Amino acid sequence: MSELLIKNATVYDPINGINGDKMDIAVKDGKIVDSIGGGAQTIDAQGRLVYPGGVDAHTHIAGSKVNVGRIMRPEDSRSGIKPMTKITRPYTGYTVPNVYAMGYRYAEMGYTTAFEAAIPILKARHTHEELEEIPIIDKGGLTLFGSNWMVMDAIRENDLERLAAYVAWGLLASRGWGIKIVNPGGGEAWGFGKNVSGLDDPVPNFEVTPRQIIRSLAEANERMNLPHSIHLHCNNLGHPGNYETTLDSFDICKDIKPKRDRQALHVTHVMFNSFGGNNWGDVQSKADVIADYLNSHDHLTIDMGQMIFGSATTMTADGPVQYANARTFKARWANGDVELEDVSGVTPLYYSPQVYFYGMMWGIGQELALLTKDPWKVLLTTDHPNGGPFVNYPEVITLLMSKKKREEAISKIVPKAFEHCMIHTIDRELDWYDIAIKTRAGHAKVLGLIEQGKGHLGVGADADIAIYDIKPDETDATTEYDRVKAAFRKAAYTIKGGQIVVKDGEITATPMGRTYWVKTTVNNGGYDRMMEDLKMKFRQYYSVNMGNYMVQDEYVQHPVVVETEYAEV
Amino acid sequence: MQTVTLKPKEQFKISIQAEVVTPDNFAGKSDSEIGGLIAYEGNTPRPLSELFDIKVEGSADSADDVKIEIKGNVPRIKRIGEGMTAGRIIISGDVDMRCGAKMKGGIITISGNADSWVGQEMSGGEINVQGDAAYYVGAGYRGESCGMRGGKITVFGNANDFVGEHMCGGEIIIKGNAGILPGVSNKGGKIVIEGNTDMPGSEMTKGTIIVKGKVADLMPVYQREGIESIDGEEFIKYVGDVVVGGKGELFVR
Repeated sequence: MSELLIKNATVYDPINGINGDKMDIAVKDGKIVDSIGGGAQTIDAQGRLVYPGGVDAHTHIAGSKVNVGRIMRPEDSRSGIKPMTKITRPYTGYTVPNVYAMGYRYAEMGYTTAFEAAIPILKARHTHEELEEIPIIDKGGLTLFGSNWMVMDAIRENDLERLAAYVAWGLLASRGWGIKIVNPGGGEAWGFGKNVSGLDDPVPNFEVTPRQIIRSLAEANERMNLPHSIHLHCNNLGHPGNYETTLDSFDICKDIKPKRDRQALHVTHVMFNSFGGNNWGDVQSKADVIADYLNSHDHLTIDMGQMIFGSATTMTADGPVQYANARTFKARWANGDVELEDVSGVTPLYYSPQVYFYGMMWGIGQELALLTKDPWKVLLTTDHPNGGPFVNYPEVITLLMSKKKREEAISKIVPKAFEHCMIHTIDRELDWYDIAIKTRAGHAKVLGLIEQGKGHLGVGADADIAIYDIKPDETDATTEYDRVKAAFRKAAYTIKGGQIVVKDGEITATPMGRTYWVKTTVNNGGYDRMMEDLKMKFRQYYSVNMGNYMVQDEYVQHPVVVETEYAEV
Repeated sequence: MQTVTLKPKEQFKISIQAEVVTPDNFAGKSDSEIGGLIAYEGNTPRPLSELFDIKVEGSADSADDVKIEIKGNVPRIKRIGEGMTAGRIIISGDVDMRCGAKMKGGIITISGNADSWVGQEMSGGEINVQGDAAYYVGAGYRGESCGMRGGKITVFGNANDFVGEHMCGGEIIIKGNAGILPGVSNKGGKIVIEGNTDMPGSEMTKGTIIVKGKVADLMPVYQREGIESIDGEEFIKYVGDVVVGGKGELFVR
């Protein structure tokens, strides 16, 4: 029976509508409770900022592509080194840190939950082996379905039951939390050295289009009643003029009615998908158009994919874009072929503030967040480590909170960048409440984790709490951004499941977090039809046996299983 | 002038990471203070006083006035002089890997042989190796895109493969022979090999390589540009590596 009382907190808890109220928070056995007895351990927050523990809905922290990044960048592991202590293992790396540093650095920033955004089913064991080694934070992952043969066969035959049955099998086999779609159809086309360019380009040999893939998976997602919506990385990422494809992709799910209290579609790292123009000479930000769409539609959410200047290791299931990056920048390149399921690529990049289109990309991320009126619709991410490492979230927070900070940053970027974007014309500054949404409450809602007690401080929620060494009443975030950034970099306290894991920015305990995954029951003929087809595919095309495939329970030592049931709409 | 004499107490068997041994760290310190600095033998922290007999003569306000003399062979001590900005280190014997890595100034003299990565990523100062040097003289460590950026390394004996890999500036002189692929992926700087070598300048985009001895195998990625005279001797000038659109200059007899 562990009890904890946080006194004199200035609390921002958007899910419960708490906006800077002075209150106490009581914790018992890892959960938030109404009140506790007098003998509890007490932390006097002295009016400091208290948020629910941070949640990251889109990050790349585990799996074979992260490991490929580590292997191809030995020089990266020479930075960020911190020696072992009695309770922590050594930290190494910046863009692709070692597994321990992943957990420690998230916890130091007051984050307690992070979801890996791309698990190929075939590589899922590796993903879970790494997730199991990331200390402190709770985890989960989204499973890739966007270029999968089983998916495309079912869609071509218009057999939604079979599609849902396969997704259910895939989530079970990979212990996944939701449906991730990356450059739908493009992964399969890339197997032949090609790509799909628009939403109506048929995928070679399958004769289905990206539009059909997105639509069908979104419908299957609702029938399966999954906690999270589909999670889409749009086609044409990184190409000038791609914003039209992005808007078109948004539209596909316009009339889909979500079964749960959440969006029907989450579109990720939209910064990379908001380019206008026809080529790299006249490329320009179309964040305003994207934001207009978000302001007039309620069926979707996005995350920023904010770019951070400096070193980044891009890693994505979008194989063709990585090939293009590697050729353009003469960078290193690794390509992964995940048999019948997807592809991937890893390429290190350096985002220089002297390159105007990087400056423009830096602008677009913030424009998306600032031009979209409703803070719940745009989440704060860097698409770690694609836009930059997650340790830069405090930098992004201060950019969003302070126009003065943005002006200071703009002065260090090549001026030509601002002929291509509009960030320098935007005056909006976010407040503490908005930031709470963008870094925790919004993420928990988008992922469907509120019921799991994440992202809020209501009674019954997990006691995942961050206390930052800053007093919102006495701090003007629009001018004192250095202080704000320092506070967010190193939480005064991070409390995970009622246990103090960080004090004054230092790790004090390293409990293992849980892994969330979804088990869906599909009780109809679709499941049998699917299994027949799947067995055939394993016999004929896979290099591994089906029996060797499933992620066994031993790989997920601290599971939280959410069960859902398939139902016709 | 402060002279610090370090005499190894034994022939170490397990490699020791001794990046603390620099004039910058020693300047103005007494022998007991220097003895308290920590090096690592394997994963065990070892104060320098356990590894060396330490004698300090004179005093210094800055690294400029410090001379460190290592009396004896230290073939298992790595990273001596790492990041030093001024002063002198004289090693009367052999030294292990990464001696003078990331060095910015000052002079290191090694009277024996140097192991791999001598002067790794150095940006200034001077390293003299009286004996031989192993692999990666003045190169970048694994994955680094810039090795040596400035300064000068002279090897009076032979050097092994990959001399000056990923070099971006500075100068390397090998008085003896060099192994294969000197100047691979270079982006600047100058390499002079007075003896023989093999396959110089692959993937070089900028910089200069002069080979005074024989080139066993010249990569077919260089374009001949006529004869040029250097210090009164005639060399054939090549430009390349054309495969990577390079403008590096390779002088061969």
